[in-house]
Amino acid sequence: MRRTNKLTLLPKSPLLITETADEFEALRDAFEREIKPRGIIEQMYVHDICSIVWEILRLRRCKVVIINSAFRSALEDLLKQLLRQPGQSAYDVRDEAQDLAHAWFTDKGAKKLVSEILSQFNLDESAIEAEAIRKSFADLELLDRMLSSLESRRDKALGCVAEYRASLAHQLRESADRVIDGKGVLRLEDAASERSTAA
Amino acid sequence: MASERQIAANRRNARKSTGPRSGAGRKRASRNAYRHGLTLSIISTAASAKQLHKLVRKIAGNTDDAITLERAREIAQAELDLARVRRAKVALIERASAFGELDPPRLTVTQMIRLVNAFDRGRLIVPKPSGSPAAMPSQEPDRSAEAVRRVLPELRNLDRYERRAAAQRERAVRGLYGRRKSRDNL
Repeated sequence: MRRTNKLTLLPKSPLLITETADEFEALRDAFEREIKPRGIIEQMYVHDICSIVWEILRLRRCKVVIINSAFRSALEDLLKQLLRQPGQSAYDVRDEAQDLAHAWFTDKGAKKLVSEILSQFNLDESAIEAEAIRKSFADLELLDRMLSSLESRRDKALGCVAEYRASLAHQLRESADRVIDGKGVLRLEDAASERSTAA
Repeated sequence: MASERQIAANRRNARKSTGPRSGAGRKRASRNAYRHGLTLSIISTAASAKQLHKLVRKIAGNTDDAITLERAREIAQAELDLARVRRAKVALIERASAFGELDPPRLTVTQMIRLVNAFDRGRLIVPKPSGSPAAMPSQEPDRSAEAVRRVLPELRNLDRYERRAAAQRERAVRGLYGRRKSRDNL
């Protein structure tokens, strides 16, 4: 879609090298279709909402990756706990746990073996995810705070569009009423009387 | 707690120090409180002045009303400030993605001594800086996500400036339509 003149005045939203401008444009077009902004102020809000949503998506992607990348060490820690026999330390089973955790991602046999070990303790793969989340708590908490802040700003911006539109509508209604009531506009009879007085 | 005599002595000593006297010293001291420049007005960069002016004109329309123009300027400035914070966020993530961290790695005193000793003996060694960050993932989206994770505290700080710029813009927008309303009622 061809961008309007108003939008070229607004600063471009910066994207990461790995993000595509086309996807950003598609998101903005979707918001424009939905909100149908009129005037530069509404365009500004839509631009803002789109940038915020883009950042929300970026952080959500990041959240998933953070949990996924903690999977291996989470599984390793879990296996160290589960493989340990009475009298053994975590160090004794370290190598076995490391190898199994490494193989879990590529080897179906290793995956099956891990499932069996987990089921011996009434656990399943959600225990690995839980450990991965636990290990990433500090980062996830910070991410969540940022996401909440962005979501609240997005909602506020949406509210601002509505508020601005309502205020503009009210203003236009008042202007229309004034025109209909004849306040501030010269009526034909007034003009005629003015002409006769002048004569 | 300081005694009366100590307080008096401190005050006497403080009076002797009147800050930097040379031009260079004063210039240096003027940047003492400078941290990141995000609270600087956007028009402080000349390139943005033109963009700001265009945006102000677009927002205000064909009016010469000084208050409307001022409100429009506030809105435009806040909008450009928002863009600047967003650019800073992306730049930080890109930098972390490229180098793995924001601050350059530091050498320990022992490593520096070893480096100097080796240099004196005519050898060049490349010491491994202490606290080197873990390797960055090579594949996307893991690499970008890891970069975001590494700059999270900085992003959180920038978020504060972003919220402030957004709040300033909202206030100015309210001021603008309040002004239009009051002008219409005149």
